[in-house]
Amino acid sequence: MNSKDTSIPAIRVLAPTATAMRLSRRGFLGGMGIAATGALLSACAATPGTSVAPAAAAAPVQLGTELNFFNWASYDDPATVKSYTTKTGVNIRLDVYNSNEEAIAKLGAAAGTGGYDIFVPTGVYIPQIAQAGLLEKLDHSKLPNLAKVDPAFLNQAWDKDNTYSVCKDWGSTGFLYDTKVIKRDLKTWSDFVDAMQNEASGKTSIMDSPNYLAGLYAWRTGMDWTSTDAGFLDDVEKFILNDVAPHINAYESYPGAALAQGKSALMMCWNGDARQGLMAVHASDPERYRWVLGAPTTELWMDNWTILKGAKHLDAAYSWINYVLDPVVSYKELQFTGYNTGIAGLREKAKADKLPLSEMIFFTDQQVATFKSGALNSGTDRLVQILTKAKAASAK
Amino acid sequence: MSRGRPTPTDGVSIGLWTWGIIVFIFLFAPIITIVVYSFNAGRTLVVWDGFSLDPYVRAMADPTMASSVLTSIKAALGSAAFAAVIGTLAGIAAARRPGKWAAVFLVVVTLVLITPEIVDAIALLIWFVRMGGPFGPDNQFVDYGLMRLWFGHAIFSTAVVVLIVRARVSGMDESLEEAAADLYAPPWRRFRQITLPLVFPAVMVGFLLSFSLSLDNTIISSFVSVAGSTPWPVYVFSAVRGTLRPELASMSTVMLLLTVLSLAAVGFVLRRGGGSSSELTQALAGGKQ
Amino acid sequence: MIPALPAGLLLTGFFLVPIGFIIFYSFGYKPGLLSSIGVDRLSLDRYGEALNDTFLLTFGNTLQIALLGTALCLFIAYPFAYWLSHHVASRYRSTLLAVVLVPLWTNFLLRTIGWQIILSGDGWLSKALMSAGIIHQPLNILFTRDAVEIGVVYNYLIFMILPLYVVLERMDPSLRQASRDLGAGRLRTFLQVTFPLSMPGVVAGCLLVFVPLCGDYITASILGGASANMAGQLVAAQFLMAQNWALGSATAVVLIIAIIMTVLAAGAGLAIVTAVLRAHRSVTLPGAVN
Repeated sequence: MNSKDTSIPAIRVLAPTATAMRLSRRGFLGGMGIAATGALLSACAATPGTSVAPAAAAAPVQLGTELNFFNWASYDDPATVKSYTTKTGVNIRLDVYNSNEEAIAKLGAAAGTGGYDIFVPTGVYIPQIAQAGLLEKLDHSKLPNLAKVDPAFLNQAWDKDNTYSVCKDWGSTGFLYDTKVIKRDLKTWSDFVDAMQNEASGKTSIMDSPNYLAGLYAWRTGMDWTSTDAGFLDDVEKFILNDVAPHINAYESYPGAALAQGKSALMMCWNGDARQGLMAVHASDPERYRWVLGAPTTELWMDNWTILKGAKHLDAAYSWINYVLDPVVSYKELQFTGYNTGIAGLREKAKADKLPLSEMIFFTDQQVATFKSGALNSGTDRLVQILTKAKAASAK
Repeated sequence: MSRGRPTPTDGVSIGLWTWGIIVFIFLFAPIITIVVYSFNAGRTLVVWDGFSLDPYVRAMADPTMASSVLTSIKAALGSAAFAAVIGTLAGIAAARRPGKWAAVFLVVVTLVLITPEIVDAIALLIWFVRMGGPFGPDNQFVDYGLMRLWFGHAIFSTAVVVLIVRARVSGMDESLEEAAADLYAPPWRRFRQITLPLVFPAVMVGFLLSFSLSLDNTIISSFVSVAGSTPWPVYVFSAVRGTLRPELASMSTVMLLLTVLSLAAVGFVLRRGGGSSSELTQALAGGKQ
Repeated sequence: MIPALPAGLLLTGFFLVPIGFIIFYSFGYKPGLLSSIGVDRLSLDRYGEALNDTFLLTFGNTLQIALLGTALCLFIAYPFAYWLSHHVASRYRSTLLAVVLVPLWTNFLLRTIGWQIILSGDGWLSKALMSAGIIHQPLNILFTRDAVEIGVVYNYLIFMILPLYVVLERMDPSLRQASRDLGAGRLRTFLQVTFPLSMPGVVAGCLLVFVPLCGDYITASILGGASANMAGQLVAAQFLMAQNWALGSATAVVLIIAIIMTVLAAGAGLAIVTAVLRAHRSVTLPGAVN
C-alpha cells in the first residue's frame, strides 16, 4: 500500500512529461540512460517475488486458481507462466489473436461475456478501447513493481499516468530473408519490395493486418503511414494491388515462429518474432536467414498490459502484472520473446551476458529516431478493403 | 484378404488393391508424421532434433492443455448426445409424418448445412451476448462456457442426425409398428421396442459423426468459447500462430490412442450386438433407394 | 410432428433467430470507428458494396478450389470405396472403414501441419526425392494451388468415401452379373449399371464435400497461404478487422445465396444430363432387343 506514495512521484521526477509523451523520440533512450543506475541494476539480482512480498504481507489476498489471457501468440515464456503457477497456484489460460483489430472486434462482439481478465493491446488503440468502456482503471498500489519500469515507457501520450495500462513490450517491424534465395544485401523497405518483385516473387509473406499495407507503402519514403487522406489511400491501394499482391505467397502475422518450415524466402515481421525464429534455426544453419530492421522509417509499437472490465480474477491479474514487471522475470521474458520489456537496466544486463542477437531487441538512438507509431482511425475501413482485394489478387 | 473373390489376380483387381493401399498411405502419412514428431526433443515441433519422451512428460504436466482436452471431450459428448436424441426424434417424425411441417423443417435443416460456419459462428456469438436468464452467464444450472459449446456444436450435428435417421426410417417397412399398434401396444412401448432398435444403427452413426465433428470444430468454437473453457482445437489454433511445441503432437497422439481404443470397444460391443459398421454407415447414403 | 419439437426449438432458437439478426443487420450501416452496427436507418446499400468485384473474384476462386476439390475427392474416393465394398472380404470391411475414420480423431490443424512437415522444401520427402534424383530443386509445393488441393482433398475425402461406400456396398452383385451375362464388357457394365446405381452416393458425397468447402476458409489456407483466397474470408474480414457488421452480414447473405444457386444449378445440370441419357438409351433399347 505504501508503495503508491513512493513510486508515483518518483516516476514523475524521473520522466518529465515532455520526454515521455514523445514515444518515438529521444526521451525513450534518454530515459533509458537515466534509469540504468546502480540501484536499479542491483534490483535485477533480486529473486523474483521478493519485491512482491511486502505488499502481499501487508494485505494477504486470495488469488483464486485461474487467470484468463487474451494475448498475442508466443508472447510469454511458458517457463515464466509455469513458475508463476507454481508460486501462486493460479493457472493461466490463453487465447490469442492476430491483430489489434481482430482482438477489439472479438471483445466488442462478446461484450464482456468472453471471460478474459488480461488483454494486451498496442498503445495507440488504448484510448478507443477505454472509451468503449472495455478497460478497468488500474490501481497502482497493487503494482509496486511499476517502479521498475523505465520512466521513458510510462505516462505515454495515449495513456497519461498509466490509468489503464502498463508497458509489456515495445518493438518494431522489419523483415527476414533467406540468403539461399536472395544473394544480395537488403537494407531498406525499397530493397524489400525490389527483392519481392524479383528473386523472392511468389515467396514473400506480409502481415495479415490492414494497416501494414499503408506501412509498407509509406515507410519506403518516410511518409506518414497513419494518414487518412483519400489520395494517400488510393496510392496505397494502387501500390499494393499492382506492385505487391502478385508476389505474395502468404499473409502471415507470425512468419518468424514458423521460420523452420522454410515456407517463404522473404518475410515481413516483428523483431521479436524474427528473433524467436532465428534462435530456433540457429543451431542448424546460423547464416541462412538474415534480419533487417525496416528503413528509412518503420513502425514503433508498444504493447501494454491492461485489465478488462468485468474481470473475474482481478487480484490474480494484478499479481501477474506485478510479477512480470520484476526485473529478473522480465529478463527471462525478454530472452524468450525477443522484445524489450521496458524494464530499467535490462540492456546493460544483456550486454554483460552477451545475450545472442541482442541487437534485435535493443535499438540504437538513430534507429529509434526513425520509428513511427501507428493509429486506429477512419482509414482502417478502407485498408481492410484493400487487404481483401490484395488477397484476391494474390490468389491468381 | 480377398478370400472368396473369384479373380484376385486380374489387372483391374490388382489396380484396385494398389489404389486402396495408396489411399490408406495418403490418409495416414501426416498422422504418422505427427506421431513421429511427437517424440521430438527440439523446441519447435517441425524441426527434428532427436528422440525424446520429454514432450509427453511436459504435455501431461501442462494443466491448460489437459483442461482444453477435457473441455473438448465434455463438449463433444454433450453435444453429440443432445443431437442424437433430439435429431432421432425429429428424423423419425419427419419420415413418418410427411406434410407441410416436415417439409418446412427439412428446409431449415438444409439451410443449416448450407450456411457457412463463419456466419453461424458470428450470428451465435451476437445472440449469446443478447441472451440472458437461463442462457446467460449467471445461470445456476450449467457451466456457461460448456453450454455455449454444446449449443454451438449441436446445431450442425442435429441437422446431420436428422438426415441420417430420416434416410434410415424412410427405407423401413412400417408394418411392424402397425402390427404392434394393432396389438394395442402403447406408443412409447412401440417406439422403445420396435422403432428404436430398427433405427439404432443410424443413431450410432449420427452420434459418432457428431462427436468427431465437435471434437474438431474450430471456427464456431473460437467465436463462442469463453475463457476458461477453451476447447482443444482453439488451443491448437492459438499455438499454431506462435512457436509450435512438440507437446501438442504428444497430446494429440495420446488422444488418438484413446479414441481408437474407445472406437474399438464400441465396435466390439456393436459386433456382439449383431450390428456392423457397414450396416451402420448405410444410413449415410443420403436417401433410400 | 410433436417429437420434432425439441429439434425445431433448437434450430429456431439457436439458428433461425441468430441468422435473422444477420439478415436484419445486413440492412444497417456502420455508425462510427468503434461501433459495429447501426440499424436506425435501413437500406440495401450494403448489398451494393458486398457485390463488388472482389467478391466475384473471390467467389470465382472459391468455386474453382471447391469444384476441383470435389472432383478430386470423387476421383480418389470412388475406386477406393469400390475396392473396399467389392474386393475386401466382408468380415474385414467394417474394421477397414473404421480405420479410414481414424485421421478424423487427430486435430485437423495438426494433421495439416503433418502435411506441412512432409511437403516442406527442407522436409524428408524433398530430400528423399532429391537424393533419388527424381527432382533437382527442393520441393516447392507449400503455398501453391497444389498445396491448397492437397489440404482440401485430405480433409474432406472421408465425407466422399462414406456415402459412396454405403451405396456400393448395398448394391446387389447379381445386377452386375446379369449385365455381364448379357455380354456387356466390364467398362460398359460399370458405365451403364454400377455407376448409375451409385448416383445417390455420388450426389450425397459431392454435396457433403462441396457445400462446407465453399464456406471454409481455414483448411485451404494453412497449406495454401495466399493461393487459397476463400469467400468465407471476406465475411470474417468484415467482422474481425473492419468491425463492419452490416457489410459482413450482407456479404454473408450474398455468399449463402451464391452457394444455394450453385448447388441448384448443378442439380439442374445433372437432371438435364440424366434426362438426355435416358432419352438416348430409350432409343437404343429397341435396337438391343432386336
